[in-house]
Amino acid sequence: MSTAGATLAGLLLVILLVSNMFLSKKGVTSSPICPNGSISCQVSLGDLFDRAVKLSHYIHSLSSEMFNEFDERYAQGRGFITKAINSCHTSSLTTPEDKEQAQQIHHEDLLNLVMGVLNSWNDPLLHLVSEVQTIKEAPDTILWKAVEIEEQNKRLLEGMEKIVGRLHPGGLGNELYSRWSGLPSLQLPDEDSRLFAFYNLLHCLRRDSHKIDNYLKLLKCRLIHDSNC
Amino acid sequence: MKRKLSPSIGFILLLFLNTGVSGQSPPGKPKIVRCHSPEKEMLACWWKPGSDGGLLTSYTLLYSKEGEGQTYECPDYTSAGPSSCYFNKKHINSWTTYIITVKAINEMGSSISEPHYVEAASIGKPEKKKSNKVVMLNFISFSPGQPPGKPELIKCRSPEKETFSCWWKPVSDGGLPTNYTLFYNNEGEESFYECPDYTTAGPNSCYFDKKHTSLWTIYNITIKATNEMGSNISEPHYVDVTYIVQPNPPVNLSLALNKHTDGKLYLLMNWSSPPLADVRSGWLTLEYELRLKPEEGEEWETIFVGQRTKYKVFSLIPGEKYIAQVRCKSDHGEWSKWSSESYIHLPKEFRLKDMMVWVFVAVLSSVICLIMIWMMGLKGINMVACILPPVPGPKIKGLDAHLLEAGKNEELLSALGCQGFPPTSDCEDLLVEFLEIDDSEDQQLMPNHEKGHPNKNLKSGNKETDSDSGRGSCDSPSLLLEKCKESRIPPAEFQTPDFSETQVKAAGKSSQETQNRDPELKLPDFNSDGVKSSTWPGTQLASSQIPKGSYHNIVEVCKVAFSAMNVNVSAIRMGNEEKHPSKYSKNIETICEGEMTQRRKGESFHSKAKADQALQWLLPNEKSPFLSDKPMDYVEIHKVNQNGALAVLPKQKENSDKTEIYPIPGTTKEYAKVTRVVDNNVLVLMPESRVQGMPVFQEPPKESAQSLHQSQAEKNMSYCLTAPSEFRLQTGGLEYMDPNSFMCSFK
Repeated sequence: MSTAGATLAGLLLVILLVSNMFLSKKGVTSSPICPNGSISCQVSLGDLFDRAVKLSHYIHSLSSEMFNEFDERYAQGRGFITKAINSCHTSSLTTPEDKEQAQQIHHEDLLNLVMGVLNSWNDPLLHLVSEVQTIKEAPDTILWKAVEIEEQNKRLLEGMEKIVGRLHPGGLGNELYSRWSGLPSLQLPDEDSRLFAFYNLLHCLRRDSHKIDNYLKLLKCRLIHDSNC
Repeated sequence: MKRKLSPSIGFILLLFLNTGVSGQSPPGKPKIVRCHSPEKEMLACWWKPGSDGGLLTSYTLLYSKEGEGQTYECPDYTSAGPSSCYFNKKHINSWTTYIITVKAINEMGSSISEPHYVEAASIGKPEKKKSNKVVMLNFISFSPGQPPGKPELIKCRSPEKETFSCWWKPVSDGGLPTNYTLFYNNEGEESFYECPDYTTAGPNSCYFDKKHTSLWTIYNITIKATNEMGSNISEPHYVDVTYIVQPNPPVNLSLALNKHTDGKLYLLMNWSSPPLADVRSGWLTLEYELRLKPEEGEEWETIFVGQRTKYKVFSLIPGEKYIAQVRCKSDHGEWSKWSSESYIHLPKEFRLKDMMVWVFVAVLSSVICLIMIWMMGLKGINMVACILPPVPGPKIKGLDAHLLEAGKNEELLSALGCQGFPPTSDCEDLLVEFLEIDDSEDQQLMPNHEKGHPNKNLKSGNKETDSDSGRGSCDSPSLLLEKCKESRIPPAEFQTPDFSETQVKAAGKSSQETQNRDPELKLPDFNSDGVKSSTWPGTQLASSQIPKGSYHNIVEVCKVAFSAMNVNVSAIRMGNEEKHPSKYSKNIETICEGEMTQRRKGESFHSKAKADQALQWLLPNEKSPFLSDKPMDYVEIHKVNQNGALAVLPKQKENSDKTEIYPIPGTTKEYAKVTRVVDNNVLVLMPESRVQGMPVFQEPPKESAQSLHQSQAEKNMSYCLTAPSEFRLQTGGLEYMDPNSFMCSFK
């Protein structure tokens, strides 16, 4: 009996060790740069901005491609562009419209604006993903891109919040936000109107993603490289 | 209805009649044909007069500004021609609509044309954006020509995202000068503005400076083409400056060659961003692309660089000339044009490895050449002789010095024209025959069947074979060879060559006069012992070969035979007329005498020769005991002594007795075959097929012990034989010939 017990114990021990080995190796991920969120170990602000710029660049590329595809496929000859004037929901946010204005604005305000635009797009992107699938014979690329943009936008938002937290730990003050109310138009029964609603949305998305990308690159050069990129 | 009409009709008729009857009426209504602005600040109007009613009619043009009540008269009726009115800029204001009427007046009355509305064009620049209206001057032109075609906007571009320009395509102007205007509308604003700058960007262009450029707004741009006949407006073109960024090409592309740490050369390319682009602030983000190719290459190698402004190129061919260009692109925009070409010429590299290869090749080839030269030198090939054959020296035809040297007397003689001239020391050949000597009386000399063969064999074996037959048997190589072949002589039996050589040489020295012998006597190798064969006479005398067996030193025999023969020869000669002072005979005499003396000096030769069986001198009073061992053996006749006895050397085929007598190979001898014996004392010898037959020296044996046969002449050669009469020389193609007979024949 004792020997049987001993062998059993030994076997159990072996199993434990092996399982431990497996378990410890299972979820292999890169070791975090900052384990346990210690303050002393931080990603540099430069790296944060690099990541943010990369994301914003990527989002705009996707938006641009998506718009072009939609335009080619659905908007030819319909004169949508003529109607898509002053139709973006974020136009209430006054953003700098040229280099001088952008260089004159304070980086805090600029950051605030960026955050406002990003936040304003959270909701529309969600609905875009769900509604674009209802378009007749929507190509997979458009669908995929919509999903990707929505996901990347969230990550960019997180990154920006980190940056803001690093630069202005107390917060930015009044938070800007534009509410989007274009959902009903995406669900119109009239195909033409519906398509125009999508066109408009994609057109505004392309523009706003470009704004964000441009502002972030400006901020990066200004704050990290001291305007000497 | 009918009632109302009738009075009006009646009235019209009355009026018509009135005019028709009277011929005078108030003027008809003039009509303004057209108003034309030949230049910007001028106006001219023409009218067409109506009927003048048969009376003199005058026309007055009246114009008023819209909104104003005052009417003015045409300032100038003449400049533009008849029935015209010319307005200059004093009278024309922009932004005003003019109402023009023409009044026709005559005695009867007047009539006024329909009013014609004319809008003045804007002559100066429009006000700022905030101005409300743009009043168009619309000159309606009725001149011949076509209204312009529809203009079209080609493209709009912004080089740095701060300004932009638009270009349009000029249209068919219908033969008339066409004016272009560009109007744009900002998104969110209602008013249209005209292009602020038509010139900066070139012809048919509009340049929007920084003040007029807004990002993230859509511009609605239209172009209007206008000429005398009309105008035409293009389709609206929607432009967002954000998406039309195309930078200028990068500048200052510099190429420099540098050396890497490991010694490799690389090309460092440096450039800078286009001057207008603001990259430093981050407003514009540029990415660059390079392309390279060798000057004669066809395809470019394109390299995407990213945002850096320098690049290192490693994989280049030394010695080539390269062309490089660079271009850039805004992060979301379009690629610029390629910059201007930059050139660089790479120096040729002398790699150590290449040099080593060439050095190695050179050394190897030189070594091979040297080896080849040495080999040729070794083999005695004279390349110079091959290339430049030596000029042959003078030579008597047929007479070969070499032959003389080699003792080929026969040939020499034949060259001299002597046929069958008696050989010198070769006279012994006459005497040399193979005889088979048997002790018994019935012994008969067997013909030497192999007489022919040894010659051949000898010849084949002997390098310096003497080809003529006038050899003394003493050193006849064939004899020696044959002897050698038949029996192998162990080297121990070999008599010291030196000894014999010395003997021979002493005797042979005298023979050197006539015959130049190669002091180096080379005898063919019959066996591995290196038996030497000597050529006659020197060689003969110097023959170191001692036939084995019962043969004594051939040299000794030769000497004796010589002496004997000499005597005989001289004897014979005496009987004949000596016509041919033959060196040979002299030689023979001297040699043979020498030999004889030596021989007679004693049997020392024998002892010295170490022959087991003494050389058999078939002296008259001697017998040859050595032949008693073998029946039917061959004998070689060496000499004939004074007494007419044949000195015969038995030919030893197989002799177990060890003798140091060794056949002298290398000396060919011709043997006459003994065919039969006649008269019991005459040997009938059958010579071999040698042409130059030598007389067979016959000698009736006086000694009974010897049975010598004399051959009968069987062939066509005849010899004269003088005293002694016992001698019968009969030849018939025989090899051995009596010199005497030769002499005789020459008489």
